[in-house]
Amino acid sequence: MGVMRIGHLSLKVMDMAAAVKHYENVLGMKKTMEDKAGNVYLKCWDEWDKYSVQLKKADAAGMDHVAYKVEHDADLDALQKRIEAAGVKTTMLPEGTLPSTGRMLQFKMPSGHEMRLYAMKECVGTAVGSDNPDPWPDDLKGAGSKWLDHVALVCELNPEAGVNKVAENCKFFKECLDFYLSEQIVVGPGGAVQAAAFMFRATKPHDIAFLPGPSAGIHHASFFLDSWEEVLKAADVMAKNKVKIDVTPTRHGITRGQTIYFFDPSGNRNETFAGLGYLAQPDRPVNTWTEENLWRGIFFHSGEATPSFTEAYT
Amino acid sequence: MTNGVRHQVRIVQTGETYACAESETLLQGMARIGRKGIPVGCLNGGCGVCRISVPVGQVRCIGPMSRTHVSEDDEAEGICLACRVTPVASVEIDVVGKLRKALTFNWGAPGAARGPDASRIHATKET
Repeated sequence: MGVMRIGHLSLKVMDMAAAVKHYENVLGMKKTMEDKAGNVYLKCWDEWDKYSVQLKKADAAGMDHVAYKVEHDADLDALQKRIEAAGVKTTMLPEGTLPSTGRMLQFKMPSGHEMRLYAMKECVGTAVGSDNPDPWPDDLKGAGSKWLDHVALVCELNPEAGVNKVAENCKFFKECLDFYLSEQIVVGPGGAVQAAAFMFRATKPHDIAFLPGPSAGIHHASFFLDSWEEVLKAADVMAKNKVKIDVTPTRHGITRGQTIYFFDPSGNRNETFAGLGYLAQPDRPVNTWTEENLWRGIFFHSGEATPSFTEAYT
Repeated sequence: MTNGVRHQVRIVQTGETYACAESETLLQGMARIGRKGIPVGCLNGGCGVCRISVPVGQVRCIGPMSRTHVSEDDEAEGICLACRVTPVASVEIDVVGKLRKALTFNWGAPGAARGPDASRIHATKET
């Protein structure tokens, strides 16, 4: 019932050929289709629906929208009522608005990011199929990412002006979409300001993250790997492909994930992320990171801020 | 290794100078030898942190720059991203990026820094 998981990310890219090459050769996704407008759709090998990334040609980088899949078609009507009751306008986009995709409930998060919910997307199966499947396919490229894991969105935080879109999104996702909070960063006098929120619907530590910044944007899109060994290999793949690595392999305190941050050819930040961390459950106590420890939460080994990680987002 | 003609780059704000090959961008040329002065972000024209103007000399654009950070008017005035331009002559550059920092907090007077939902954090912790 309700939201199951992240379904797809629509990402704006400035050079389509370079973007497709990056998502195929570095991340290891496969192109599954292209629409009349020239948008390209890709999936990871262990995903079963037709696409998890839509690349959209644009004159700027950034996120167009993020979509989450709900279990039943009727969930869309129920969620529409709850979202509208919270004072958020919605539009039901008809089936076929995106290829191979059913009707989509479109609305804006309190932070201004466009979100869509859908129940149907063409199922094409994983690369190993479902009948007596092998553990992995033979034709993996690059990092061989298994699935689009989560997105982290930059939300406006300006406490002096009374603006905290991180906290507003957290409240909205909790009250309207039944997401749970797994971890948070609190800052300011007495830790009174919720400056970052990590939320889940499934059993991973997060399906979406909200990070603070001066204006809305996307901080990163994250792709799942199985192990630390695969994270190291992914970094080798990036170096071989001369991909700009933002943060070399390390561990997060928050979510316990093992990570690399890097940039796609349009400057959108990607992450390869390994480790399921812990079993996220609605009754699990929320982990809270305080201001003096927030960089230990983000980069557990160094415990320090890195300039590009804070300055660059799209 | 980079080959070919090199040009002197001077960063007006810091006085820093370095030699940059025609085959690399102003930002790559600076970062590769460990110099500082221009903020380094995505290196791919998307994030805008390396926004510069070029009052002296000439550069060549080698890839798309996000219109969020370099408008058509900006471009006409010689504003560009250091990660997307290579030198074709000796250049002086002015760093004009407005650094917007995520995950960085400058608190004002105690008590002033409160978001609208600050009170609910404690409620959330109890769930």
